[in-house]
This record gives sequence, structure tokens and C-alpha cells, in this order.
Amino acid sequence: MPPLLEVDDLHMHFFTRDGVVKAVDGVSFTLESGRTLGVVGESGSGKSVTAMSIMRLVPEPPGKVVSGDIRFKGESILAMSEKDQRRLRGNRIAMIFQDPMTSLNPVYRIGKQIAEPLVLHKNMSRDKAWAAAVELLKQVGIPQAEQRARDYPHEFSGGMRQRAMIAMALACGPDVLIADEPTTALDVTIQAQILELMQEIQKKTESAIIMITHDLGVVADMADHILVMYAGKAVEYGPADEVFYNPLHPYTWGLLESLPRHDVDDKGALCPINGQPPSLINLPSGCAFHPRCAYARPECQTGSPVLTEIENGHYSACLFSADADFVQQFENRVSRDGDTGSGS
Amino acid sequence: MPGGPAEQAAEARTLWGDALRRLRKNKLAVAGLIWIIIVILVAITADLWAPRWLGDPVEIDSSTAAQQRLLTPSSEHPFGTDKLGRDVASRVVYGARVSLIVGVLAVAIMIAIGLVMGALAAYYGGIWDAIIMRLADVFFAFPYILFAIVLIALLGRGFHNVFIAIGVLGWPSIARVFRSSILSVKANEYVDAARSMGASTRRILVRHIMPNAMAPIIVYATMSVGGAILTEAALSFLGMGVQPPEPSWGLMLSEAPTLIFSAPWLMVFPGIAILTTVLGFVLLGDGLRDALDVKLKE
Repeated sequence: MPPLLEVDDLHMHFFTRDGVVKAVDGVSFTLESGRTLGVVGESGSGKSVTAMSIMRLVPEPPGKVVSGDIRFKGESILAMSEKDQRRLRGNRIAMIFQDPMTSLNPVYRIGKQIAEPLVLHKNMSRDKAWAAAVELLKQVGIPQAEQRARDYPHEFSGGMRQRAMIAMALACGPDVLIADEPTTALDVTIQAQILELMQEIQKKTESAIIMITHDLGVVADMADHILVMYAGKAVEYGPADEVFYNPLHPYTWGLLESLPRHDVDDKGALCPINGQPPSLINLPSGCAFHPRCAYARPECQTGSPVLTEIENGHYSACLFSADADFVQQFENRVSRDGDTGSGS
Repeated sequence: MPGGPAEQAAEARTLWGDALRRLRKNKLAVAGLIWIIIVILVAITADLWAPRWLGDPVEIDSSTAAQQRLLTPSSEHPFGTDKLGRDVASRVVYGARVSLIVGVLAVAIMIAIGLVMGALAAYYGGIWDAIIMRLADVFFAFPYILFAIVLIALLGRGFHNVFIAIGVLGWPSIARVFRSSILSVKANEYVDAARSMGASTRRILVRHIMPNAMAPIIVYATMSVGGAILTEAALSFLGMGVQPPEPSWGLMLSEAPTLIFSAPWLMVFPGIAILTTVLGFVLLGDGLRDALDVKLKE
């Protein structure tokens, strides 16, 4: 049986006046039901564009899939007609957006918005869809759901709106739930609640989740696999534990070092990655990360690393990941029994 | 107690209910609205009372015209009479019909053309946007009144061509406002969210973008009614609008200047009618701007 969702060597480029922006440049992963994939990277690393490509939300032009494919249950989403895609969107694949403040339409009642995918995909009558929407609001933990369904988005708090967004995404019982930084706009206590809610839902519905975030801490407990992206490329991919406890790529090291942790007896400041992500139009030669890499060697300026399997199922795109001595240089690794700061 | 205050509050919480409630708090807007309603009622019911109480607005009674001309305001002729012996009050009342009809129809034409053009430009962008917006620029490049006069000269004088000309010339502003409004709404995440829910392009445009982009149009259209009334008055004043003996406020003004010192009421009353009606629409439009903003905190 083909995997639930398969992204195969996806190249999504933007053709702009200034040049070709290679927003996603060769990303592959597979996702099975009930599993969670964490996609991690800085702003501009291509993680959101990857998600939007799956939903076909990238405006074309200027965007264009140059090569690669996205398959849902073996069928190419890219080759589908617009109508078939619409049948998939919101129904089999749903998305939760980053900013709950702007992702709900201000002129419709919450209940009506949650009911919309049901009306669109399940041919429900308005009354039935409304009742189902109230039920969904209850499921995502909105108190007094009957009354609150009649509210407008501006009458909801940020956390409640994100719950409403989740209810909307869940309405049709999707196989794949894509969450694009679902907790970034929320404060920390609400973040934890939303993540918990998503995990609970996953347990009940067996849906697969793609969790996009810039915070490794967020995916630490949730994800089964982690994909680390940098400058449109996958730089490390593997089981979550492996990536977290035994990271192979210096960029992942940098991300881990920039996390607040309380397992390391380090009273000093956090250690950020220096510099800015590169321009996606003029990528640095060789390894795109070398200008910012604390462990860069002369070879990094010329040799382009490719994502290769270093250990069983654990891939890295660094010229030296296979070199045990090189990997040993990373000192601040998270100990397996230790606490990670954000997870538990 | 059923129907207590809490229940009533829940009852009133529809989008339009909310807007109406906010509008009611704006005293100037309410004053504008009330004045507009009065003018509309006067215009609609004019036939029932104006000829009987005040006199015919158009026909000249040749037997009495000589004694009746240029009478000062009195209880019999509250606004006085003009140089042909007609009652000015009656003409002002009937003038409201002309002004309102021209105002509303001109704006209807403006909106019909402007919305389609604006929506095409904003949603399809690219070459459509360029063509439509440059066409709008061409319209803006000509002095408005002159353009209207040229158009009426081409179409022929008369009541119909006044509002057609005003409407045809007014669409570029509506198109611009609607285009920018759609563009800003289109950038919102809920449009992406609607797409991600599987909504079709048409559904997104009609159900998600339009309702959010309409508020500035409603405001602009309301104010444009005032503008169109003013333009009609100006055109009639210049002799290119409504033709005598039809009563029109602008036309009445155009007959007045030579008599401004001997019979000032000829200018004052139609002038006040134009001023207050236009002001009423502008105040209402201004109030609507605030009332239609869902996000405004109370």
C-alpha cells in the first residue's frame, strides 16, 4: 500500500523580477497515519512553503513546482484537476494556520465557519452542520459551546480562536493535519494546551500531523520524525529521538544550543546561531550553511553535501556527518534521560 | 424574567444589528439619516400635498402671474415665489425628487461598473489590473465637470443623461476603492484558510472577500450620493442638466443670481436644500464608516 502522504524531491521555486527564489529545493519525506512529522527551521527555510505546496496554496505564478511530486495515497496531488484538489482540501488534508487572529473571517459567526467544510464536503444541511460545529467546539474544549458558536471571531481570545481553527480543520476528520506554527502567536501556557489538544485528537482520530515550527522544543515530545530544513533544503531527517539526542548536522546543533534548557548547568546566555539565513536567490557556494557554521572547514566552501543516510534511518546533509570525531565536537547534546526544557 | 437584558443583548448580536447599534451612538450620523429620511418622504409624498397647499411647481397661471411674481416669503408662500409667479417651496419639494433620483441612480451606475472593474482588477491582477487602472486614470485625467458637459453634449440634454453621465464618469473612484479594499482583504490568512477548506475561487470571492471588502464601498457610495446631487446641481446651473421648467435645485439657483439682492429667497432656499441634503449623506457615510468596522472596540 502506498504511504498516506509522500513528498518526493519537491522543488518549489518562485520566479521573481530579482531572480529565481529556490524556496523549496529538494525535500522528501513520507508520512503514515497516526504519525507526526516535525518540520523545523528558521524563518525563510522553506518549511511553510513546503506545507503550502501540499495544500496547493502557493500562488502560481510566481511559484512553480519545478520538479518533484506530492502524492496522497499514491495519487499525485500536483497532477490532479482543481476540482479533485478541492475535494481533498479541508476534507482529507486540512491545515491550521499560524495566526489565529487573522485566520478566521471576521464577518461570520464561529459556528458558521466551522460548519463550512461540512457543508462543502459532506453535503450537510445548515442545521446539521451547525450542530456538528457545536459538537466540534465542545471537543476542542470551548466551554458553553452552544452560545459561543454564535460569537464572532473578535469575541474570542487568541487561544480560543486557535481551538476554533483546530475544530474547523478537524471538521471532516482529515487524514492529514498540517499545522503551520500553530502555537507561535500564543502565550506559553496556551501553547502547551494547544499541543496537548492536538495530541489528544491524534490519539482519537489516527490522523497524521505535520507540525511546522521553528522551536525544536515544541516537536520534541510530539513528533515521531523530525525534518530539519535550511535554505530550502532538508539538512537532517530521522526519528525524533535520534535527531534530538544524537544530532548529526551542525545546523541542528545550533538550533539545540539556542533552546532554553535547564538540564545544562550553564548560567550564561543562550547561544544563538550567528548571522542571517542566506538569500535564496544567491545561495552561498558549497554547503549553504558554511558561512554561519562554527565547525566549517575549507572543504565546505566548495563541496555540496547531499542528504545521505548516516545511521539507520537517520539522514544528514553535512560533508562530515559520517566522521565520528567531527560529530563528537558537539558538546551540548541533550542527555537521553535528562530534561529538555520544553518537553517533559 | 424571559427576555431580560442579557437575552436581548444576545438577540441583537448579528452583524447588521451590531452596526446599527454603533450607528445609533453617532448623533451626527443619526441626524444625517433622519434628514435624508425626511427628504425622501417629502419627495415621495409631494403629489399629495404640495400642489394643493403651495401651488403648482411647473405650470404658470398666466392670469395671476403678474401679481404673484417675486413675492417675499409669507404664510401663503413660505419660501416666496419666483419671477414667473411659481411657489418656490413647491419647486424645492419637487426638486428633492430630481436630486434624489439623480443621486441614487448615478451612484447605482457607478457601483455597477465600479464593482465589476475593481473586482476584475484586484482578483485577476496582472494585465487586467493594468488595463482597468490605466483606463481609470484616463477618466481621472479630465476635469470632471467638463467631461460631464462633453458627455451630455454628445448624449443630448435631459434628465436621463444627467445621471447616466454622472454614473459613467464616477466609476473609476469606486473601482479604485474596491480594488484596494479587495487587495487588502485578499492578503488575510482567512482567505488562505478558506482555500485550505476546499472552497472554490468563486465562493472565496463572493463569500469571503466581498463581505469584508464592502464596508468602504457602502461608505463611499453613501457619500457619492451627496456628490452626485451636487454635480447635478452644478450641471443644471450651467444649463446642461435638468431642463426648465422641471424643478431642480441647481436650475433654481441658476435663475437666481441676477435677483440676489432683490429676491434673495430664490437662492437661499434651494441652496439650503442642496447643502443639508448633501451634508446628510456625508454625515451618514461618515457614521457608517465607523459602524461597519467589526473590529472596533466598544
